Amino acid sequence: MMKGGGRGGAGVPRCDLCEEPSVYLDRVRGCHLCGEHFLRDVEGRVRRTIWDFRLIRPGERVAVALSGGKDSTVLIHLLRRILLGAGDVSLTAITVDEGIAGYRDATLQVARETVARLGVGHRVVSFGDLAGSTLDAMVSAGEDHPCSLCGIHRRNALEAAAAEIGATAIATGHNLNDQAQTVLMNCLRGDLPGFTRPPVSDGTAHGIRRIKPLFRIPEKEVALYGMVAGIYRELPECPYAATALRSEVRRMVDRLEHLRPGTLGRIVRGQEEVAALFARAAGKTGNEPDPDP
Amino acid sequence: MQVHLPDGTERTLGGGGATVSGVLLSLGINPAAVIVSRDGRVIPEDTLLGSDDEIRVTRVSHGG
Repeated sequence: MMKGGGRGGAGVPRCDLCEEPSVYLDRVRGCHLCGEHFLRDVEGRVRRTIWDFRLIRPGERVAVALSGGKDSTVLIHLLRRILLGAGDVSLTAITVDEGIAGYRDATLQVARETVARLGVGHRVVSFGDLAGSTLDAMVSAGEDHPCSLCGIHRRNALEAAAAEIGATAIATGHNLNDQAQTVLMNCLRGDLPGFTRPPVSDGTAHGIRRIKPLFRIPEKEVALYGMVAGIYRELPECPYAATALRSEVRRMVDRLEHLRPGTLGRIVRGQEEVAALFARAAGKTGNEPDPDP
Repeated sequence: MQVHLPDGTERTLGGGGATVSGVLLSLGINPAAVIVSRDGRVIPEDTLLGSDDEIRVTRVSHGG
């Protein structure tokens, strides 16, 4: 576990809750937190998200989409910790191997090590098995939008594997930045159905709910949680990432968040309200927090 | 001050008394998109740095 200061804490502001050197300045809430209090704070907020939105229910079999990257690795650690006392909820990790040379092997290895350490069941499914071709081969054959294609096949692969193991929910590691980026991308594309989709829970073709327990945690905090908890690993970047619209939107929202702290949260909360309005108008249940949990 | 950047390169900057955030911005790096550590310990972006400090910048954002 990475510590927050000790003798090497010269010039480091102290934690607002104890005398330890801080590891994090929360610019939205205006507070400093040491490693221990930061971990507790993130765990508390994820626990509250799960509770507020009833993301995980008694007796559920949760499939965790575990790529081996930082978000999904932190997600499965957090779920394991939060659900430790919930004996009737089970976790199984699913990893999708898209077939991306020089990228997926490293994260696949992290995924295998993670499930071994946590004692969680693991299933690996590949594009080769399900779609008959690796993503690299599809791109070589002339595919111009690898991220869109990958997203579709990955979603299908996850859902098929989750259905096979009898999962009732698929938990993904989408964080607050991902969510804010998606909202803006849907605006830029003029995608009204996408823009009005419930943010934290969504049905699938197999009737399995997709849930995002980290959707209120900024990406920086997810990475920092991994570092402080000692589970963060430097990994290669997907070679196709730079081609995505998401990369441009990411830079834009990161800049806005730095200039105006809280922008990410405001984008996502605004979309939540719009989605809830649309759901009510359509006579469906949105993902607004349960008023009487 | 020695700065290890996410792309594996290093930069040497003169003087101390700047915050982590100030150093990052002077290098064109958005503090919201990285985590900085010194001597293996994560430090917040308003930490005051000394002229002899050696810091490592880790990018938090990956993927497609």
